[in-house]
Amino acid sequence: MVIWWVIGGIVVLGALVFLGYYNRFVSLINQIDNSLAQIDVQLKRRADLIPNLMESVKGYMKHEKGIITEVTNARKALVSAGNLQGKVKANDKLEGALSRLFAIAENYPNLKANENFVQLQNELSSTEDKIAYSRQYYNDGIMSYNQARLTIPGKWFASMYGFGDKKYLQISQSERAAPKLKFD
Amino acid sequence: MERISFYDQIARNKRNSIFLVLIVGVIIIILGYAISFAFSQEYFFFIMIIAIIFSTIYSLIGYNFSDKIALSSVNAIKADPVKYRQFYNSVEGLTYASGIPMPKLYIMDNPQINAFATGRDPQHAVVCVTTGTLEKLNKQELEGVLAHEMSHIANYDIRFMTLTAILVGMVSIISQLFLRSMWMRDRDNNKSGAIFLIIGLVLAILAPILTSLVQLAVSRKREYSADATAVKFMRTPTGLIGALTKIKNNQEMKVAGSISPLFFAKPNRAAELFSTHPPLEKRIDILKKM
Repeated sequence: MVIWWVIGGIVVLGALVFLGYYNRFVSLINQIDNSLAQIDVQLKRRADLIPNLMESVKGYMKHEKGIITEVTNARKALVSAGNLQGKVKANDKLEGALSRLFAIAENYPNLKANENFVQLQNELSSTEDKIAYSRQYYNDGIMSYNQARLTIPGKWFASMYGFGDKKYLQISQSERAAPKLKFD
Repeated sequence: MERISFYDQIARNKRNSIFLVLIVGVIIIILGYAISFAFSQEYFFFIMIIAIIFSTIYSLIGYNFSDKIALSSVNAIKADPVKYRQFYNSVEGLTYASGIPMPKLYIMDNPQINAFATGRDPQHAVVCVTTGTLEKLNKQELEGVLAHEMSHIANYDIRFMTLTAILVGMVSIISQLFLRSMWMRDRDNNKSGAIFLIIGLVLAILAPILTSLVQLAVSRKREYSADATAVKFMRTPTGLIGALTKIKNNQEMKVAGSISPLFFAKPNRAAELFSTHPPLEKRIDILKKM
């Protein structure tokens, strides 16, 4: 008689663990989706800040047509990018262009003193930080997800739940090279 | 230099703090046995229930109002979002790194570099920094301090320390009740009862001291854990190391004893074993290895 109780107990325990892990997987996937959405929000914010920035800059740096065009084009690429991977790539190009712009702005003390310019510079800097943090959190989420998926007992359950593997957000090889600053 | 991973640090310190709390549990059980032998099992249950009720009520009131109590005791004011834009931006960035919602931000007027976080859960969290912190630290160092505070919130440290306080409070109450009821003991007990009485007496005096030391050790482990979690958010220990180095020059701050464990750096001087915070040097050494 006792044997039935023991077997019953094991079955119940097993079912609880199975369900518990399912919920854990769902929770991890939701966190990952959330962090992707956050990245999206910050990318949009960056794109929105650029026109205002360019208005300030054009007033003082009329002749720096090269860099102004570069930033404007980078912004266009960001806005028109299709999926998130494309947007992140476009943002990395924009970040490169912006750092060149701010380096050049060092030669224009009147621009540097302009409150609007300084505020926009700070805002752009903090949105870039937020994107970096969101990407980090996204990758952390992928790591937790993979850990749950590849360790026992999650490993046994994962195929039953039908959750596939997920990719980390990568930086492409070309983007790893630091932007070359030209001082003329 | 041997590198340590912050993941390992976080896991190790969490494990150790749970282990230490279990020690408190064991002390309660031992104390209980001693008392039941000296008196009777029913008497011990009676004391235990009183202890649980009082300790829990006292701690839960403190826990639920921890944010209001702490903030009003240092005269903190809400941080103006426009004036302190960078402060808000830094915290917001860390909410993305940590996955916790945006806490309420407060400022306290004090030239020393320090900060604290409190609140019963991440949805009701509060972070307060001194004016000295905003003036004396650069952006990365400020974010290091903020990351440490938000680590406390994300690790549910306030809840954990409250739980520990409830257990330690119970030991204190049990011991107190036992010692006081010594006089009312039934004098018909035989010799073996007397021995347990002496053991119980010794335990009742030592137990509160031991559990207090354990509570302080737990607090220190959670501080190390918060440092390591902060590195996990920032992915570099540089900011934290810079902030801790600058804090070496801090003067003492007058704060109430009950909220002094919540601060980033020890506000007052205390010997290491009796301190809620690990020594600055040790914290810096560990961070340098990450």
